[in-house]
This record gives sequence, structure tokens and C-alpha cells, in this order.
Amino acid sequence: MIGVDVGGTFTDVVEIRDGRVSVTKVPSSQTDPAQAVVEGARRLGVEGVPVFNHASTMGLNAVITRQLPKVAFLTTDGHRDMLDRGRVWRPPDRQTDPSWRRPFGDASKPLVPRYLRRGVPERIAADGSVLMALDETEARRQLAVFGRCNVEGVAICLLNAYVNHAHEERLRELVHEVLGDVPVSISSETSPLAKEYARASTTVIDVVMKLIFDAYSHRIDDELRALGFRGELNFADCAATLLPWREALRKPSRIVFAGPAAGTIASTRLGEAIGDRNLICADVGGTSTDVSLVVDGRPFLNNTFELEHDLVINALSTEVVSVGAGGGSIVGISPSGDVTVGPGSVGSEPGPACYGRGGTLPAVTDACLLMGILAPEGFAAGQVRLDPALARRAFEGLDTPLPVDRRIAFAFRIAVANIAEEIANIAIRHGVDPRDFSLMSYGAAGGMLLPATLDLLHVRRVVIPPHPGLFSALGLLSTDRVYYDSRSAYVLLTPQSAPQIAAVYELMEQRLRARAGVGRDAEDVTLRRSFDGRLVGHSWETPFIEIPSGPITGDTVQELVERFHDVYERRYGNRFPYVPVQGVTYRVELVVRSEKVQYAAGKPERTAQVRPEGMLDLRHYADEPLQAAEYRRESLPVGARVEGPAIIREALSTTFVCPGQVAEVGTVGEISIEAATRAAGGSDRWP
Amino acid sequence: MHTFPRPAEQYLFARRRPVQGTCPECGAAALAEYRVLSDGGLWDVRKCQRCLASVERTRAPRYGSYVPLGLEP
Amino acid sequence: MALTSPVPAPLIRDLSDEQFARRYGCDRFSATVLANRYGYIVEHMCGRLLTAAFSPILRDFYDFAATVSGPPELDYATPAMSATILLFTGTMTDSVRNTVEEYGVENVEPGDVIIANDPYRMGTHVNDVLFVRPVFHEGRLAGFVNLKAHQLDMGGTVPGGFSAAKSSVFENGLVLSPRPLLKAGRPVRETWTLIYANVRFGELLYPDMQTICVNLDLGERLLCETLERYGAGAVHGAMEYACDRSAEHMERALDRIPDGAWEGEDVLDCDGVDDSEEYRVRVRVTKVGRRAEVDFSGTSRQARTCVNATALDAKTSVGVAFKYLLDPRTPFTSGTARPIDLILPEQTVVSALPPEGGVFVYWELNQVVLSAVLRALAQAVGPGAMGGDRGSADLHNATGLLPDGTPWVSAAQCGGEVGPYGANRHGDADSQMLSYQANGIGMAIEAIESGAPVVVMRHEIEPDTGGPGTHRGGCGVVRDSVWLQPARHFFMSFRYKHAPGFGVQGGGDGAGGGIWIWDAEPDGFPGRTPLTPEAYRRAAPVGGVLDPDTNVPSRDGAYVYVLERPFWETRPMAVLRFLTNGGGGWGDPLEREPERVKLDVRDGYVTIEGAARDYGVVVSGDPDEDPENLVVHAEATRRLRAEQRRTRSRTAPTA
Repeated sequence: MIGVDVGGTFTDVVEIRDGRVSVTKVPSSQTDPAQAVVEGARRLGVEGVPVFNHASTMGLNAVITRQLPKVAFLTTDGHRDMLDRGRVWRPPDRQTDPSWRRPFGDASKPLVPRYLRRGVPERIAADGSVLMALDETEARRQLAVFGRCNVEGVAICLLNAYVNHAHEERLRELVHEVLGDVPVSISSETSPLAKEYARASTTVIDVVMKLIFDAYSHRIDDELRALGFRGELNFADCAATLLPWREALRKPSRIVFAGPAAGTIASTRLGEAIGDRNLICADVGGTSTDVSLVVDGRPFLNNTFELEHDLVINALSTEVVSVGAGGGSIVGISPSGDVTVGPGSVGSEPGPACYGRGGTLPAVTDACLLMGILAPEGFAAGQVRLDPALARRAFEGLDTPLPVDRRIAFAFRIAVANIAEEIANIAIRHGVDPRDFSLMSYGAAGGMLLPATLDLLHVRRVVIPPHPGLFSALGLLSTDRVYYDSRSAYVLLTPQSAPQIAAVYELMEQRLRARAGVGRDAEDVTLRRSFDGRLVGHSWETPFIEIPSGPITGDTVQELVERFHDVYERRYGNRFPYVPVQGVTYRVELVVRSEKVQYAAGKPERTAQVRPEGMLDLRHYADEPLQAAEYRRESLPVGARVEGPAIIREALSTTFVCPGQVAEVGTVGEISIEAATRAAGGSDRWP
Repeated sequence: MHTFPRPAEQYLFARRRPVQGTCPECGAAALAEYRVLSDGGLWDVRKCQRCLASVERTRAPRYGSYVPLGLEP
Repeated sequence: MALTSPVPAPLIRDLSDEQFARRYGCDRFSATVLANRYGYIVEHMCGRLLTAAFSPILRDFYDFAATVSGPPELDYATPAMSATILLFTGTMTDSVRNTVEEYGVENVEPGDVIIANDPYRMGTHVNDVLFVRPVFHEGRLAGFVNLKAHQLDMGGTVPGGFSAAKSSVFENGLVLSPRPLLKAGRPVRETWTLIYANVRFGELLYPDMQTICVNLDLGERLLCETLERYGAGAVHGAMEYACDRSAEHMERALDRIPDGAWEGEDVLDCDGVDDSEEYRVRVRVTKVGRRAEVDFSGTSRQARTCVNATALDAKTSVGVAFKYLLDPRTPFTSGTARPIDLILPEQTVVSALPPEGGVFVYWELNQVVLSAVLRALAQAVGPGAMGGDRGSADLHNATGLLPDGTPWVSAAQCGGEVGPYGANRHGDADSQMLSYQANGIGMAIEAIESGAPVVVMRHEIEPDTGGPGTHRGGCGVVRDSVWLQPARHFFMSFRYKHAPGFGVQGGGDGAGGGIWIWDAEPDGFPGRTPLTPEAYRRAAPVGGVLDPDTNVPSRDGAYVYVLERPFWETRPMAVLRFLTNGGGGWGDPLEREPERVKLDVRDGYVTIEGAARDYGVVVSGDPDEDPENLVVHAEATRRLRAEQRRTRSRTAPTA
């Protein structure tokens, strides 16, 4: 099995063959991203490999940088500004900021400029009836304009097309008639869900992704075949589930944001192996920390996600919240003299001052280097040498009367405190108590920052998985193939509505089986139904209420209403049994089980006491330097116990075990860190 | 007071009462007394009209002239 | 009471460690961490309310606020307010102080929740109920955690309360003077029953109030943990530090603008009795060094119906205006207002007293105050000035019965709720926003149509309505809706008389908007209603400043009184049109790069005629048929702009 995670800076490739993990890192190429994937495949060899699973942030990057193909948007006359409007709201913390603009609005950087967003006279009512017929003459005229402007693809989203797709389908025919064989996405196919803005933006992204991914994926497939690959090429989606690449190209909006979710899946899988079903997953990178939750062995799923503020995509996705704190977060001084960390970041270029690439602003990584947590040699598998003198100079350059020692100490502590508060915030918003959870800590900077949050967050423990620097790529080898479909219909849930709901499922399930090429009784296949419903009077839905398999009858619908109230109460703490429930979106997932990474349990060695490689001065943590033991991770056997303060180094990551903490190597090689005396509770461990 | 009839004048004006004395900050003989709303609620202030320094700030009744009936003994 | 000096000197950043510790009872690092922590505590308190409340107005419009505040000896200093609704920012600290002091500090016990909602005591309106939880540490009152949240109904003559026609406190809804809702953790039954005996939808309010109490429990727990960990000395010191810090931010920002005095005014068109009296808010802003005063002398007396606001609302909008222009990025605390004194005669339309008129539609006056202060400060901040937004929140509500007798309601969906901002030095303005002091999720048209018998035929910007400028104001937005069943319409638009979308730095004002109804004998689905003068001529005008012959918005037209009728009844297939006012422009439109004007023509924000008239740019081509081949005629543009500059210097007085 091979997993490839294409990031902005590096393309990570992981192979598992006969239980052995091999890894390689290839620099990503902005101009020819397929090349890095193929190079990684060549290095590890693909002959005899059964699956090649691919995730990329290429689509996301194209959207964020607006390096987009020229696409047009066709909608109901009078509504072309739905893409400028979004859902109207602005970020709560920017409310008095006159410089804020809606990032995709016409006053900023629209995905489709207004002159390429055009209306066609037609109107379908909320119940699907046709109020105004499609004006084909006018449609042809507008398409001719698109032709004159040489658009490369067309997105179509008409009002209420989620209940009646006739006009959209006819328009697609007209596009091909007038413009020839250009990619077209229609909303009733891409995402037949209610609420026009999210459906429209998903459809626009979909046609953009068709243009971006088409040649790329054909090229990867061709070149892998040329290297002798005979297995399946799969693409991962926003929930880190897989689908065959040709299937992915049918609705590529689903794969626009693959990558972060893979870390959550990897955590889930590791959690299974070590018997831990409640996890807060934190991927600490250079510019940000991606936080997600695994509750009772399942990642927290969403039915939509945002590529940037309010740029909404309808797709099943693992909820990953990105907070602006990471190794590259900039250390600064506020006007009132506070040491601040973030939200700005030095990025990968020039990077922290200690990289020696011209950066002069101090970052959290610089603080960690000066503290002794990071060593000058051996960073990022030896690819970067860190220069403490440059790091120190950057801290000296801060405009504050504080002594340099304390600037460094404060920077580290505030970075840790910010990450802890952000993680707590996410936990509380999801109604979970961090005390019941383990903090899965990965990404290059996870191990050096997150153990220090233990005392602030009150999580059970911090877990550093094996290969924390490549953990997301490992997630691509920890997941299933999933085909899914969903559609909306506002239906009041009463026994009388059973036939309508049953018909929706019958149609969806039939089509899904055909797409996946599986029969009714296929093994290794599970069908999951769920719906999103709302209390009458609400404008938002409660998602993922499970529906039993089997025929849908009046009794089933009554059960659905009960389940809705149960889920609502579990999530939000209140129950409104006297308010009627409306079904909005109905969903089927067809899961085809796939081969996954197996974590082999090792036996603890008798000699739990291990000898450090050496001792070092841990500076700026306490008033006086502390002596900290230094270990190589690969020389720590299962069952090894290490008391803090200690530093554990490995090729792509460093773990800092704080004073008062104990780290222990678990059965599959994970490092588990807990407070030495859990009873101490509430004492302030900062000196 | 608890009940306020609508004012007869269409536009209303605040009164600032000039008082003797000089501003300790800028030295101007331009002090006046009036009521302001700021951090801390309503204040009766004596302020310099040239540099806006407060010479004295005394807490004013919580709701100004409005005294909910039943609140006073 | 102690003298509070508006200028703490030296600056906080220059304090030595010893001075800092003496003033704030902790070291600088702890103060920073604690100040951040208060921000997170209020966010944590909002988290559950945002997801768990029944009320859509909480979740979609963030119509609530959470704060942490200090004990009485800190004068209830508020080091953190949630980033929810700006309209609450100036009222929170005083609400908590007034509620606790009136109830009696000596009566407060652990586990209490004290509530109140009287606008004359605490600003905003009766639907906004304040919930205060005292927090004790080692047996002493150590602070409060607080939530103020809009309730779906508070009784009164109009369901939900949204009406501008109520004429006194007694029609407005239940007034709660400060009283316990929980006493030592136990429900005070007579308070709960008093509320539910007076309000509609009690079954929905009840769990919402319980959720609020649970959130207060969470806030209390977090503040208690903080107290245990750091001690009351550090916690209180850091509260003062956070407030001093934001006062200092504002002072330093004030210091950066020149000293002077500037006047600004704006108006609310009318109240609910008739349009004989418009309500003016006039301010004179004086700024010397790091201090400012805002004097409201010359402001109108209070209105005869519930369009009034109270002094704390005026404080909110003065604070919001100063934040927007001077200190946009830091969060609000009670210290924000410290360098600014408001001088506010009693019984103006923004300092109303009971019982006449009453207070409900307070947010419209918040907008007028904001506008008046922004206009005054525009003269002080030069290029930092902001153009006005479209003014009113333009709320529309409609109700009716389906043929089977089921009632339906469309609340704040089909009016002018979404409209433009004004431009500023950062660029052109967005056209589709709520007002400068509101924020929220706009409802999807498909969701609206699934819930009420209405078809939204058009929601589009209208060309040439944005205030022209080097940076263009947002364009007015047209929303046309067809009502399939008989309907009753309620309007709350109050800002047509005096272009609220004012231009700055030489930018032009946004165009005026209006409201129209086409209610002909039903003859099938009416389809599209054109935007032509012929179409307007056939309409019944509902609001705006309109040409009496054509019904088209015109600066020289006549004012059409929006509340002429308390509501409008329409027949099936009637068409309702809202056109919002445009947003103000920033900078001289003759300085806008001709290429950008061409792109505006291409994109339909400006017409070819508008480009020549408003920007002096001569564009030719067909933006509809051939949008990529428009041509700017450089020489003709140069001549036209020179000509317009000459005309302007001859005729226009310097602004």
C-alpha cells in the first residue's frame, strides 16, 4: 500500500509492505505537481502494490490563491448575485474592522466575475412545479456571450433545482450545443441540496476542480502504469475516505480539501489499536494547528465545510478547525507591552529566523531552539540547520524593556496557553469534556508544544503516535472506500410522508450500487442511511440522524422523529417534543471495506529503565537552566519510561516531556505522556 | 421621578454651568460643571473646557432623573 | 467616589516590573495570560448558547452577549465581552452594575442568577433579558459572569414585539426590574411564573433560559478555576489591566488625530404617529489630546412611539464609531469608553425616559447616532473616514393563513435586510451586508420559500446606486417578492429623508431607495416586474423619497410615509419591492482609475451613462453582449473630467 499526501512544500509518501513502513519526502512542485507524486512512487517502487491512495491540497491552494480557470455561472434570472452574497455574515472578531471585505465578494476576489454570472428567465417553485418555463432563446444568447469570452467551463445552479432538475439538465444540453465539449457541473447533480448559495458555490468549485484535476489525474495514472503499477489508484476526499480516481472526477468538489482529515483517520485507527476511542487530534504545523475530534471511535463529521470565510462546500467532511498557532507563529509585542504569539506566521519562506533564510521576526520555533528543545542539527531529517544566534538576534530585536530571557520564556508559554485555550474552545463547542479525552499530537511541531498543554487542558494524556511527522499520509492507509449520495426535500415527518422518503432512498441506493458495481448482497459492503432534520421554526439542521435499514414505513418515520429528538437532546441538551420535525436532507453512504495499516503490538521489554543519549541544559523554562535527558526515539523500547524534563528526538519531530510529566512507550510504539502525580490537580507548574 | 411627560421643546440642550477656578493641568480659567456618561456610568463632573481634564468626577444617581417608583423607602 | 483620571501615565508598556506588579497585583506575564483567559471564558459561554438555544435570532443574528465583570470594588470593570452583537457593547457593564446595585450587593449569594430587562435601566429593549451570576472566591464576592440574550417574546401588544407603532411602556411588554431567577442555585418560582404568565411561546423560552443558566454555570466554573489558580489579587489586577489596556489603545488612537471640534447630524424620518416630526440626532465631538467629548445638544425630544433609544444605546454607538475609525482590531471592554464623555440631555430620542413612546426599535437610532458621529469624525480623520452604510435595517415582516387555515410568518426575510456598506480607504464596499452594527446569517431564498407562500423573484444589486468615489460605495439591493396568498405586511424602514449612505473625502452619496407594492387583480403568476419607470408608475408607493409622478426615487421627490398604515394587506400574487439605499463613496470619483470604472461597467455596477455622469469616464461598447471588449476613450475621458472639474469649482461650495 502506498499513501501520498501532496502538500504545499513537501509531498509525503508512505509505503507499507509486509508490515514495514518506508517513507520518503519529495519537494512539491507548483508548476508540475504530478511530477512529485510520480517521483515518490518511483523511489519506493509500485510494482505489486495493490493500492495507491492520493490526497492533495492542490485544489484548496488554487482556490485560496485564485489561480483558477475561467468559468462562468448560469442561474435563475434575478439571482446572479447569490455568489457575491454568501450567507451574509462577517467574522465576529472583524466587526469594527473597515478593512474587512467578503473574500469572495465582488469588492474583493470573486471566483467568477459578475459579467460571467448571468441569469436565465425560468422559475421553479419550492414544491418543484414550474412557475415560468425556461426561456431557451435567452439562454442561447447568454451562452453565446460566454463563448465570446472563451470560458473554459460552466457551473449551473437554478433556484429550487434540488427538487426539479429539468431546467438545469436542459441548460447543460444547451451549453454543449453552443460551447461544445466544455466541462459543465449542474447543481442538481453535484449537490442536490436545499439552500442555493452553498449549492451554487459547490457547483462552481466542482467545475473548477474538473478543470484542475482532469489532466493531472490522467497523467498520474498513465505514469504509474508505466512504472509497473497494476493496482487501484484512489483519491481521498474531505472525510479522508477513498474513491477510485475516475469516480472522483465525476464530482471533484468532494476532493478539494483532502489531507487534514487523513490525520483524524490515522488517529482513529491508532486509537483502535491502543484502545482509546475518545481523542482530540491536533496537527501542529508551521502556520496553524488543525484540531479535530474523535468521539467514541468515530471522527466528528460535518455535511459542509468552508475553504475560506463562508466559502461553503457541501460534502461530507471531517470537521477540522484550523487555529492560527504553530511553530511559525510570530512572536511580537503589543502596544501595551504584552508578548504576543500569532496569529501571523513567518510561513515556510522565509521561515523562523533560525532557518537562516532571511527571516528576522522571531517565531515559536526560535524560542524552542533557544530553550534547547530543538537541536541545531538534525531538524527535518537533517535538511535544515538551525542557527541559535539568528534566533537570539530576532528576540533581541523586539521593542520591549523585558530582558531577552523572559521574552523567550513568555513566547513559549503564551504559545502553549493559546493552543490550549483554542483546543478547549473547540471541545466546549462540541459539548465534550477534555478530561475524558486523550490528545493525539502530531505534525512536525506537535511533540514540542502539546505535552506542555497537559496541565492547562486537563486531558487524560498526550499521545505522540509513531511517525508523527508523516502521520497524515499514514491516514491514507487507514481508511475505506465510500460512495455516497444525498438529496434534499423539505418534508414534515409524519407517517403519511413515508412513501416520499422511501422513494428518495430507493432511487439513491439503486444508483449508488450501480456506481460502485456491487449487488444487493455483496460482502464487505455496508449501507448507512442518515438524514438532516430541523425543528419547524429553525433555519438550521441537526445533521446525521441515523435511519434503520430495511423498508421505510409510517412506523419508521415515527421512529425517526424520536431519534431526531434524542440526537438533538444529546447534542444540545434540550428536547422540544412538542415542536414538529421536518426532514431536509437524506443521505446514503455505501462503504466498501479496504485493506488498512495494521499496528503490530510489541512486547514490553523487561528493562523499562533506559539510558539517555546525553544531558542538556533546558533554558528559559524555569529561572535557572534545568538538566534534561535527551533520547533517540528509535532506541526507546516498548514499555520504556522517561521522566521529564526530557527531550525525545526522531527524524521529523521532537517531543518535549515537561518537568513533572512521565512518558511511556506503548505497545505499538506510541509515546503516552501523563502528569507524574495526577492527584496534584490545579497546581501551577510554571515556576 | 417616575413618569416623564414628553418635552414641549422640539430640540433639547445640555447645560454646562461655568464655575470659578483654573485647570490644574493647563491653567485655563475655563471650568464648567455638567453631567456625563462614560466608563462607570453617569458622573457629575467639573471639567476644563479647554483641555477636557476632569478636576472632579462624582457619581451621579444611577438612572439620572429616573427613580423607579417603589424603590425609594 | 474616586476621581478617575482619563490619562493613566506613564504608558503601561513603560512600567517597570515593580510598578506593574504594584498596580496590577501580578506580573506582566500573568496579566497577559489572564486577560486572554477572560476573552476565552466569554467565548466558551457563547459556544453552547450558539448551538443549544431554540431561538433562531440567537443563532442566526448573534443577538446576545456574554461578559465577565469584576466585583463592586472594581466598579464592575468588564475585561471581556463576546464578539457577538455590537448593539450590546456599550450597555453591558452598566446593565450589570445597575442590576446588582438595585437588587442589593448585600443580597447576592453563591448560585444566584439575577435578571432584569428594563431598557431605561439597561439599554436596548425588553426582549433582551440580562442574566447575572455572582462568582465567589473564599467566601467573598469576586466577580460576575453575565449573559444578555434576546428572547422570542416578552408579551405586549405585538407578538415578538417587532413594531414601531407601540406608544408607551404599557404596550411594549413585560418589564422586569432586577430580581432573582435562581436563589442559591434554586429556582425562584414566582419569577419564572411571572415571566411565563406574560409572554408568548413560553414552552420555547423556558428551555432557552435553562440553557442560559447552564452557560452561566460554565462561566462561573471557569472563573472559579482561574481564581483558585492565580488568586483574587492577580485575577482582579488583570481585570483592571485588560480595561486599562483598551482605554489606553483608545487614548493613543485619539492622540493621533488633530485636536478640534466637529459636528455631525442625521435623522430618523418619523415615528409611528405621523410624519410631522423627524427625529434629529446632532453631535458635537470635541477632541483635545487623549480625551474626547460627544455633546448631543440640539438632538430631538423623544418620539411618541417606540422608535426611541436610551442613553446606554447612545453610548454603544459612540463607542462603535470610535472603534471603527480609530481602534478597529482590539476587543471591546468597559475601558473602551473611558476616554470619551457623552453629554446627553435627558428625554431626547436617544435618552428617552418612561413611559411615553416606549423603547423597542432602538437599533434604528443606534444607526442614526453612529451616522452622526461618523460624519463628525470624518472631518477629523481625513482619509480614515468611512462612507455611510444604507442606514436602516429595513426589516419587513409578513403574516397570513394558508388555505387550510395554517398560520405562516415571514420575519426579516423579504425586506431590505441585506444591503450595502460605504466605501473607505481600503477599497470599494461590499453590497450585501447587514448594517454596520448588525451581523448574522442571511436566510437562503429556498429556505424562505419552503416556509412561507412567497417567491423571491429578484435579489440583485441596482447599477449606479453606489456612492461614486475613488472607491465606490456598495450598490443598493433590489428584492422583489411575489406573495402567493393574502398577506399582511409590516414595515420598519426609517432612513429615506437624509441620504444615510453619505460620501466622504469627496465621494458621492449613495442613491435613495424605497418600497413599492403591485397589487393588481390576480391574473396568474406575475413573472418578472421590470425596473423601468413604466413599472414604477403602476406601483403603490410604500416608502422612500420618490418623484410624485413616476414613483422613482429622486432626491427632489416627496417623502412617502412608511407607517401611513399600521400594516398593508395584499391580495394573492401581489409583488413587493424593496430597494435599499446605496452606500457612500470614498474619495473623488474623478480620481478613480478609468480601467476600474470600465470593469464596473463590465460587471454592471455602473452603466455607460453613469460612468460618464458620475466618473467622467467615456466608455463604449456593449457590456451585455460583449463585456470583454469595452473601450475606455482616454482623450474623451480627459476632456470630460476636466470639464466636470471646472463645473464643480464654479458651482459647488467646498464640502
